[in-house]
Amino acid sequence: MLFNSLTFVVFYVVVTTLYWSLSGWNLRKNLLVVASYIFYGAWNPPFAALLFTTTAMDFWLGRQIGKAQNHSAKKRWLVASVCMNLSMLGFFKYGNFLLQNFQWLVARVGIIYQPPHLDILLPVGISFYTFHSLSYTLDIYRGVLHPTRSLRDFILAVSFFPQLVAGPIVRAGDFLPQLAHPTRLKTNQFFWGLALMTLGLFEKIVLADTLLSGPADRVFGYAGPLVATDSWAGVLAFAGQIFFDFAGYSITAIGAALTLGFHLKDNFRFPYAAIGFSDFWRRWHISLSTFLRDYLYIPLGGNQVRPFRMALNLVIVMFLGGLWHGAAWTFVVWGLLHGSYLVIERVIRIFFEDKPWASSPVTRVVAGFATYGAVCVAWVFFRASDFTIASRMLSGMFGGHPNGDMILTTRELLQIAVVTAGVIGMHWTMREESFETAVIRLPAWAITAIGAVMAFAIVFTQGTSNAFIYFQF
Amino acid sequence: MPSFISNFKQRMRLPRMFFRKPTREEQIHGGPPLEFERPIPPAPWRGITVVITIVVIAATALWEWHARSRGYAPSLNDNDDLWTSARRRVEPESIVIIGDSRGWFDCDLDEFQKGLGKRPIQLAAPGSTTWPVLEDLAKDETFHGTIICSFVPMLFFAPPGSPPMERAQKNVKRFHNQTPAQRVSEHLGIWLEERVAFLKPDDLSLEGLLNNLPIPNRSGARVPPRFPPYFERVDRERRARMWEKCAEPGSELAQRIQQIWLPLFTPPPPPSYIPTDVFMAKFKEGIQKRFGDVTAAIEKIRARGGKIVFVRFPHTGGLKELEDKITPRQQNWDPLLQMTHAPGIYYSDFPELSGFNCPEWSHLSAGDSVEFSKRLVPHLRTALEMPVAP
Repeated sequence: MLFNSLTFVVFYVVVTTLYWSLSGWNLRKNLLVVASYIFYGAWNPPFAALLFTTTAMDFWLGRQIGKAQNHSAKKRWLVASVCMNLSMLGFFKYGNFLLQNFQWLVARVGIIYQPPHLDILLPVGISFYTFHSLSYTLDIYRGVLHPTRSLRDFILAVSFFPQLVAGPIVRAGDFLPQLAHPTRLKTNQFFWGLALMTLGLFEKIVLADTLLSGPADRVFGYAGPLVATDSWAGVLAFAGQIFFDFAGYSITAIGAALTLGFHLKDNFRFPYAAIGFSDFWRRWHISLSTFLRDYLYIPLGGNQVRPFRMALNLVIVMFLGGLWHGAAWTFVVWGLLHGSYLVIERVIRIFFEDKPWASSPVTRVVAGFATYGAVCVAWVFFRASDFTIASRMLSGMFGGHPNGDMILTTRELLQIAVVTAGVIGMHWTMREESFETAVIRLPAWAITAIGAVMAFAIVFTQGTSNAFIYFQF
Repeated sequence: MPSFISNFKQRMRLPRMFFRKPTREEQIHGGPPLEFERPIPPAPWRGITVVITIVVIAATALWEWHARSRGYAPSLNDNDDLWTSARRRVEPESIVIIGDSRGWFDCDLDEFQKGLGKRPIQLAAPGSTTWPVLEDLAKDETFHGTIICSFVPMLFFAPPGSPPMERAQKNVKRFHNQTPAQRVSEHLGIWLEERVAFLKPDDLSLEGLLNNLPIPNRSGARVPPRFPPYFERVDRERRARMWEKCAEPGSELAQRIQQIWLPLFTPPPPPSYIPTDVFMAKFKEGIQKRFGDVTAAIEKIRARGGKIVFVRFPHTGGLKELEDKITPRQQNWDPLLQMTHAPGIYYSDFPELSGFNCPEWSHLSAGDSVEFSKRLVPHLRTALEMPVAP
């Protein structure tokens, strides 16, 4: 079920009304479990069984880790949990990719092998809920969480419908404690949640789908070379589209959870005003970057190791982060590019951080725009379906096709320019604060006017229920 | 200076409780209540929500009034969900209409039902090519019914990756992959569209309005041609009827659409990145392949006892001149019938089917479509070797 669909509107109204009508806390939680499985099963009912299996297995494995008397036993159970989760992810998401690469590899040594094409349907959101579930056993192993006794609570923690299919990646340790005490209906919290949902849907339906996705799709789908203007316009359109698409989903999820009395953490914090790549990853898909930091980067030694090893750790983490997004080498290159950016940034910091000019406003702005430019270059690999398209796009962006084609209308170029300038301006204006503190500064009439414009724009735009980009991951 | 790791440990929300006995609450819920709470900006949120709701309802009502005052009326949007609902109704022996917008506008289901004994299912779709639907029916081992296929060469031979091909593929894909949630949305959408006039995504939406802004393009830009505005009403059976405003003789809307058809039906220049001769060779190869694929699909359907008839529907004015010039009958219609051994009805071969006026050059008005269908039925019966009607 998509947030931007009529089905969800009806579903949400029914669930929220029932939820606040019920008096018993257990009844409410039962309702949320049923609603979350309906939400998920509405895509493909059999996959709800897969979700339940993963969850039930991790619940049991979590208990085994908790009960184990020594460290090595805990480790064995944790390995079982990691293997179970990753093999599930591997089969559904990377099965064909692995076979294709195996075919390529054996062909290098002269063996002709034609693998069968596995007709595997990717369960929507599998990358997200696998991480929701995995965080539970990892945290029990790390000693920061005790196994819960309630299977129902754990099922709800993994499948809570606002964050189920496209994040934020909510760790069991962040959600289970919220199930300890009944949530109370707080008027301001409820209406603020609705305001966040409106903002999120506005970002998705109006900005991402209506103003940016069309030009981005045409540029990346064009079979010939493009002039620099159109190439850059396509990349900037995609940079805006993916931000508004994903941030829009996250904000809608956070808002929907708030209206039910649950608190989810921020997933984005004005990333296009990042100064440097470490800063970017503290602002972009925060739930994934902190997941990778805590469960991968730090166990690998983090930055408490020699510089070369630290650089390698960064590259490994970003390589896996890229692969998490999709079973394609383009995603791997995207991840590796970001890994390289992080390493280069560390090197630059070693040499120049102490210079007096390094912290001047001009340097910060230049560094900010350089970060945005480099992030956009990396987006080319993220969006392009193969390396031919990616290399043609990069060549076009850097003047390689002065006689290439122009395929965007003037209106589309203006649209992209206005939205890009708008998003960068907004991010720079609010980069040092949270969204909530920015709202506090606004008078009530301004909030009302902005809210009304956004809500009417959603109605007026008549969205076509396009799936969110991150659903495919 | 504390290390990153020790910093991280200090900042950990949950206490390290690995080696101590958990409290009862921790045992039940995994940890203590969350310390993190989202801040709620202080503002009169209830009042703000009420005002926003009133403003949005008022603005929506105004927009609806504006749409109706411009002549728009509630009508279904012909999207992939509506197509899917029609495709679901196809039974093994159904009569289905496939192809482009001429088959969609010009076939009256009541007349066909009266004349052919069965109510046809409308699967023709505007701006789409025939092949994906024909291929889908051929692959459907249960189907052995009758196909009435509209033929417009520019669309029939649309290459892979072109908008007509993608449109048809999208419909077929939705039929096979429609999720339960999408099916519910389909019903809710139909309920709303039958009551609200401004729900016209191609015309009265933000995107539709932006598309209509008179901003000139860069010279030499290969931008997609514009599509015609809303000019039809569609019901639950996907029966399209031309809007009266367009059907009025010499109406401004009809004239505007006429001028949109001409660039739409003019083949785009060959791509700049492929040598013209290579492109033309590939183009011709694509047409031959389509002939071959269509023939094979028809053979498959025939082998199961199914039938097909091609129909060239009326088109007039400057569009007829253009089509006759760029896609002459001898180069596509005749070879199609020859290769497929399928019967065909070319409207201009029969005086009773000629002489209809298409207000915007491409489709019949709602009234004419009824009359045309009535006159077409005997020809269909003959072509399909059906017994003479009583």
